Amino acid sequence: MIHFTNLSFTYPGAEQPALDNVNLDVPAGDFALLVGPSGAGKSTLLRCLNGLTPHFSGGLITGEVRVAGLDPVAASPAGMSTHVGFVFQDPEAQFVLDRVEDEIAFALENAAMAPQEMRIRVEETLDLLDLAHLRDRPLTDLSGGEKQRVAIAAALALRPPILVLDEPTSQLDPKSAEDVLTALVRLNADLGLTIVLAEHRLERVLPFVDTLLYLPAQGAVLSGDPRDVLAQTALGPPLIRLGKAKGWTPLPLTIKEGLRFVRAEERSLGTAETAVEERSFGATELTVQNVEGGYGRNAVLKGVSLTLRGGEVTALMGRNGAGKTTLLRSIAGLTRPARGHILLNGEEITQKPVAEICRRIGYLPQNPDNLLFAETVGEELDITLRNHGLHPGQGGAPPVEPMALLTRLGLARKADAYPRDLSIGERQRAALAALLVTKPEVLLLDEPTRGLDYAAKDALTALLRGWRDEGLAIMVVTHDVELAAQLADRVIIMSQGEIIADGPPAQVMGASPLFAPQVARLYPDTGWLTVEDVLGAENQK
Amino acid sequence: MTRRLLSASIYVMTSLMGVAAFLYPFWLPAVAAQNNVGLAHAGDAPLVLTLLAGCAFAVLLLEVQDVAANAKVVALLGVLVAINSVLRFAEVAIPGPGGFSPIFLLIVLTGYVFGGRMGFLMGALTLFVSGIITGSAGPWLPYQMFTAGWMGMSAVLCRPLVRLLGGEGKWTEVALLALFAGIWGLLYGAVMNIWFWPYLTASDGGGPGLYWSPGMSIAMTLRRFGAFYLATSLLWDLMRFGGNVALMLVAGMPVLRVLHRFRRRFIFVYRPAPTPTEESRPVATAAYRKAAA
Amino acid sequence: MSERLFIHPLAWLIWLLAAVAVLTVTRNPIYLGLTLLWVGLTYAIVKRFWRESAGAPIFSPLAFALFVILVSTIFNGLTVHVGRLTLFTLPPSIPLLGGKVTGEALLYGALNGAALAGLFVAFAVVSRVVGVRALIRLAPRAYYAAAVVASIAVTYVPATRRHFEQVREAQAIRGHAMTSTRSWLPLALPLLIGGLERALQLAEAMMARGFAGTPEEETPLYPRLLALAGLAAILAGWLLRLVWQQALPGGTLMLAGGVMLAIALRETGRRHPHTVYRPDAWTPTGLLVGLAALLTLLLFFLPVPGLSRESIYYYPYYQSLWPDFNLWLGLATWGLLAPAAALIFDVMRNEE
Repeated sequence: MIHFTNLSFTYPGAEQPALDNVNLDVPAGDFALLVGPSGAGKSTLLRCLNGLTPHFSGGLITGEVRVAGLDPVAASPAGMSTHVGFVFQDPEAQFVLDRVEDEIAFALENAAMAPQEMRIRVEETLDLLDLAHLRDRPLTDLSGGEKQRVAIAAALALRPPILVLDEPTSQLDPKSAEDVLTALVRLNADLGLTIVLAEHRLERVLPFVDTLLYLPAQGAVLSGDPRDVLAQTALGPPLIRLGKAKGWTPLPLTIKEGLRFVRAEERSLGTAETAVEERSFGATELTVQNVEGGYGRNAVLKGVSLTLRGGEVTALMGRNGAGKTTLLRSIAGLTRPARGHILLNGEEITQKPVAEICRRIGYLPQNPDNLLFAETVGEELDITLRNHGLHPGQGGAPPVEPMALLTRLGLARKADAYPRDLSIGERQRAALAALLVTKPEVLLLDEPTRGLDYAAKDALTALLRGWRDEGLAIMVVTHDVELAAQLADRVIIMSQGEIIADGPPAQVMGASPLFAPQVARLYPDTGWLTVEDVLGAENQK
Repeated sequence: MTRRLLSASIYVMTSLMGVAAFLYPFWLPAVAAQNNVGLAHAGDAPLVLTLLAGCAFAVLLLEVQDVAANAKVVALLGVLVAINSVLRFAEVAIPGPGGFSPIFLLIVLTGYVFGGRMGFLMGALTLFVSGIITGSAGPWLPYQMFTAGWMGMSAVLCRPLVRLLGGEGKWTEVALLALFAGIWGLLYGAVMNIWFWPYLTASDGGGPGLYWSPGMSIAMTLRRFGAFYLATSLLWDLMRFGGNVALMLVAGMPVLRVLHRFRRRFIFVYRPAPTPTEESRPVATAAYRKAAA
Repeated sequence: MSERLFIHPLAWLIWLLAAVAVLTVTRNPIYLGLTLLWVGLTYAIVKRFWRESAGAPIFSPLAFALFVILVSTIFNGLTVHVGRLTLFTLPPSIPLLGGKVTGEALLYGALNGAALAGLFVAFAVVSRVVGVRALIRLAPRAYYAAAVVASIAVTYVPATRRHFEQVREAQAIRGHAMTSTRSWLPLALPLLIGGLERALQLAEAMMARGFAGTPEEETPLYPRLLALAGLAAILAGWLLRLVWQQALPGGTLMLAGGVMLAIALRETGRRHPHTVYRPDAWTPTGLLVGLAALLTLLLFFLPVPGLSRESIYYYPYYQSLWPDFNLWLGLATWGLLAPAAALIFDVMRNEE
């Protein structure tokens, strides 16, 4: 169905090719998963499938692509639209109309399909993605997962035999992401649709994948059976990494398969003594006392109290709408609580101006792009300093040397780059730099790992650990259980505006089926949360 | 060549017709008096002229629309119009200085950076969409669309002037654009007055002493219009002038930088090998050199 | 399916056109008064009974109407010094304003204001009942590209407003405060940059779904030529009528120009093959509303044999203060009442 022969592609003006001599094959009806580090060219590769590369961007393409027997470069994206459906990352940025049904019909209208036939097509497509009950709804009312399902429906309206998706879940929370991935698995199984999916969340889809394509930053593309490819690469969810470390063959792809190996293991039943480190807390103390409030009339927070201390990373978890983001916004002063107090080192900050609060409390919102608008990364730092009157030009003294901060964030060489041209991980770090240049005592992050690949996640984890050890109080709102397992010293779970659990990760997460990381599911009642925990315990033995 | 000639004649013809239709209260009386036109014909003149302006708009829109031939330009214009409409909400919501509106900045700069045809679409569609969704649509809407379209279209005329003044990126570029936006702010106000002027001054000819009734000189009509304008609109229009100038001086340069940065990605149209495009040629040679090495 | 009243948007536009045309052309207090009454009644009924409001006007039409009538009355009264019914006299030394202030001038000013106010109310009616989407759908196929642009804009307005909120907060947390005009930049630039990035993604999505424009150089010339010729013919025909008093040849030429324009639009439209999913349907009521408005328009503007149209024009200064009245023209204004009647009828039927 899909053949690449010696395909190379260079963007206009680029020195290095974005794709270098790629060869791969995907048979018809396969579920193919494309993985690899950010910046390796996954998006470029996917866009070769319908001619968006090079028709959209320009550039030089050599070698051969065959998709459904056609050459996409010659056929152009419009010509390929009946053969390849394409779904993009951002659910907000791919709609022309604002009603579910109309949006699905848009491609059919453009194809000048007869009205009766169009009615049937739209009905079928609605059913295919279980959207019939939403048909009349405006798209703005839908959740992210529902929007992505509409985008899939819209892409499938022309009945292409191939569906290509470029990280369709990177902007979604886990529940929505699961909805989307489940829908894909069903489309592949029930209709025999050939699917090519680029995705960071391997856990959910790996068991259904026929072909795994690994696109490294450098070197040849690996493709084939998932187990074979995973064995040759470093990436993968904890289950895979553990399986490889322990030499389990065939490599388990699901917890169920993993448990078989675990049960077969000779294991001393002794309780796991995960070393409880005594850490010294810093001087900072942020206290939230009985905070109530939220948007408009309906209170999102119903009496929340907690204390964050310097030198501690707290993970705040819970369902969508549990009030996590509202809590962060309340602390930062963006939402004023209706009742209750927030104290920083004993000083009431509840009614202070946002600028004053945020000089001492850094808050990284979900989409860091909204912070960045200057011409260079360095200028972004200057703007924050100037906002607070700390810029040397204003006679102030920056609490942190900007260049030193950028070096620490790995952005030293990007100080003169245009922020929007950076990779997503770099943009996030640039936004962090723009916040941390005032040397806040508390750092709050909202879903910082959304859309990041494994390498960028590890880099972020290392950075946050470093700051914690220097006495910063950090709170991370996240759905990412593996991140919480790796990073947090303390986990808080919220539900319906209240804190329902608060304690060390092993205790809180190990006990909860919803928030347990993969390792905790493999080794229940041990308190182990990460691959390192398991291997460390084994080495001790 | 033929195409360019045709385009040029469409621009000239529609614009002349538009101007004539907008300005008829000043010339129609003289023509009517000379020919001793009776009540009936002069009476439906406003209606016929509105229709004429409408036809001119339709033909002009058809011509400029060619620029929106690919998905990129369509998407770009759609999103820019949306941004401008959101700015219009800010204008409607803030009961500040009367005539000031932040929407003209993007209209002028779109025309200046992306060309006159996109400028026209940007102006006309901004007023259409924002007028309707903010609930400020009224009988003035067609006139607003036409005038704002012209504003965007004519912005391209700044290009040769800017080149004359020392080129892009200099302060003169922004100063010129600011002056341009300011003047259009005044013109826009004047046109908005002219559309209802005939209503205000009666539209059926007849006896003497009326503003544009037959037998009245253009000078007299202008004098009265001037008085009306001074009394009712000048203050608003001066605020629009000042607002446009200030906004362009403050935001012109950074917004221009952003638009230029994105310009190539939107305007680019892929043409496959063997004739490499301007953009891909240097890359191609670099790649070949690499292959040869 | 609930049987709710549906009036095709085009019927509403014909209604608007008829109202605008009548209000523009007549100053006869009787016709003007009747038309204003029907338009005002329609507004009141639509405001009360129409199921959803597409867009409410930003200020109350009633207040605006009163304001316009007041301004117009004062302006006309102070600047026109003609008429028999002198109320008082301003010193002639004041430029423009000096002279006698007459009842006729005040009356005429009020009539002008009333016509303007009527226009405003008629537009307010239509903007309540016809949403922006319906208007875009009405665009002729030749304007497909412009219609898609407008459609995208409408779709992205709510998203852009949300985005603006996010940007405002993101800047607030890095200490941004509104201190001067320059302070708008940190809010406007991320909005613009984010918007442009979104536009690129949207363009990709549209291309992937088969939206392909036609390359510019491939559009044929002749429809464009025809459009230009049609425009010229309309202009020439009108001048012929106005300047050289050639009513019939002028009218014919204008008609021919109109037909040429229509053909040009049709030909351009054929180059964008495109169908409509669930187009708006013409219901009998909608048809009736459209036809009634059309009838008003025709009676007022076409030379109907046996119908004297002189009474449309009214001029109080030297003629009789009492307006002429033609019963047929008076009845013709009733065509504008059709949508209001249909609505009331529908409400009454549903209550049974």
